[in-house]
Amino acid sequence: MTDAVPQSRYTLERPEEAIDPQSIYRDLRDNAPVVQLSGRSTTGTITISRHEDVMSALRTPDVYSSDSSAVQIGNIRPLVPLQVDPPHHSKHRKALDPLFAPKQMVKYEPRVRELIRELIDEVADQGHCNFHEAIAEPLPSTIFLELLGLPVSRVDEFLALKDGIIRPPARSLEERYEMVKATGQKIYAVLEEVVEARMAERQDDFLSTIIDAKVDGQPLSRDDVVDIGYLFFLAGLDTVSASLECIVAYLAQNPGHRQRVADDPAVIPHAIEELLRYESPVPVVPRITATETEVAGCPISAGSRITVLLGSANTDERFWDNPNEVDFDRESNKHLGFGGGVHRCLGSHLARMELRVALEEWHARVPDYRLADGLELRYSPGIRQIDNLELVW
Amino acid sequence: MRIRVDTELCQGHGRCYMLAPDLFDADDDGYSQPTVERTVGPELADQARRAFMNCPEDAIILTEETR
Ligand code: HEM
Ligand code: SF4
Repeated sequence: MTDAVPQSRYTLERPEEAIDPQSIYRDLRDNAPVVQLSGRSTTGTITISRHEDVMSALRTPDVYSSDSSAVQIGNIRPLVPLQVDPPHHSKHRKALDPLFAPKQMVKYEPRVRELIRELIDEVADQGHCNFHEAIAEPLPSTIFLELLGLPVSRVDEFLALKDGIIRPPARSLEERYEMVKATGQKIYAVLEEVVEARMAERQDDFLSTIIDAKVDGQPLSRDDVVDIGYLFFLAGLDTVSASLECIVAYLAQNPGHRQRVADDPAVIPHAIEELLRYESPVPVVPRITATETEVAGCPISAGSRITVLLGSANTDERFWDNPNEVDFDRESNKHLGFGGGVHRCLGSHLARMELRVALEEWHARVPDYRLADGLELRYSPGIRQIDNLELVW
Repeated sequence: MRIRVDTELCQGHGRCYMLAPDLFDADDDGYSQPTVERTVGPELADQARRAFMNCPEDAIILTEETR
């Protein structure tokens, strides 16, 4: 039951909170490590924030289930593999892991580089741009649609559908639920159309490979393939855009760090890991308790919805030395920016490659940039996109 | 010094083969090898410690020998 859990005035949804979540995380860890936030999407859920508690939630999927009741994102069936618990989960991962393995990603790097160069060419000489619109949003969406085998000519339609799930312009919870459900139906329709076309005729793309994959020696059903596509759609677009925006926004405001990245591209992979830690662009993962449990001495009953604060674990001074210092040379960085345990991000190697190539090419062309004068960055709640990331150089 | 990756714990974050490419390698699924314990010479001891300190799952088993 959530009655025993104290209520917090924080929502982690207001703009002034979203711009500096790290100090809220700290307050929660110190004063309310098990708490109910009062935000729209977090009401009635229990938020846990200490590294130790976050880690044990990620590591005990039999207690902290990720099944489809943990979160509502417009789907009518569980999303695969996110909303599948062990033991079935590992069978699906086994089929999907090879597609996203580091060795595969090497093949796609030239195309990512070509695309990012084209995008940068459009703005490099004008001395300013909205980085979200010009670079961070089109890059992962285009790459992703190409990889999956969805028609890139429909990119705007897909972006609108994805936004309809992740940030619907709803004023109430009921309205949000209705909007998300309606958008979900459209996504199913698009995916069903493309999956059926590929079932009839394979192409050189992920959907075709997934159609031919075997789980337990059996081919996947049409619904399985659609459910995988639905998750990819929601997991692979915003996450990379938000990460690129959080990283570039940090560098734009910290000239020393920016200069180092511009001078020494070899530091970029380390800068990415460190800023994924500090900024935690995907700050929470949802779970639901399958059994009774206890966190930091507080009893939690079965069936409780849990908000697992990865962002807070990533800055917990109980675990990290100087967590609020951004140090590209950090000796030990066990960040949970891609989650942890069995649901560790399937797309992490793709995401890292996209981020690295984007930062290499951007700094080669635009090494010296800053935020537009007087700009107040607007971070979205949940996945931390910055849609007004106006840069000047 | 000896190292090995615990396959039960490894979730394929890939921090080890990025930081210690001479010691670890990704298999075709992105999980780390070697899963059988091997000895690390002094020239690679730093890489081994670095990987050990950066695995989010604590899946790298490192045994220091005092011989
Ligand atoms: C920097 C960018 C990204 C970040 C920060 C990120 C973050 C995460 C996190 C935190 C999780 C864990 C969810 C949980 O435990 O409930 C996750 C899972 C997942 N991510 Fe990502 N992600 C990124 C990019 C991508 C991309 C490009 C894809 C491409 C398809 C992707 C696909 C997935 C999938 C399929 C899962 C579910 C894995 C499972 O349940 O086994 N992600 N991601
Ligand atoms: S860093 Fe750890 S979890 Fe990641 S691949 Fe290496 S051993 Fe596995």
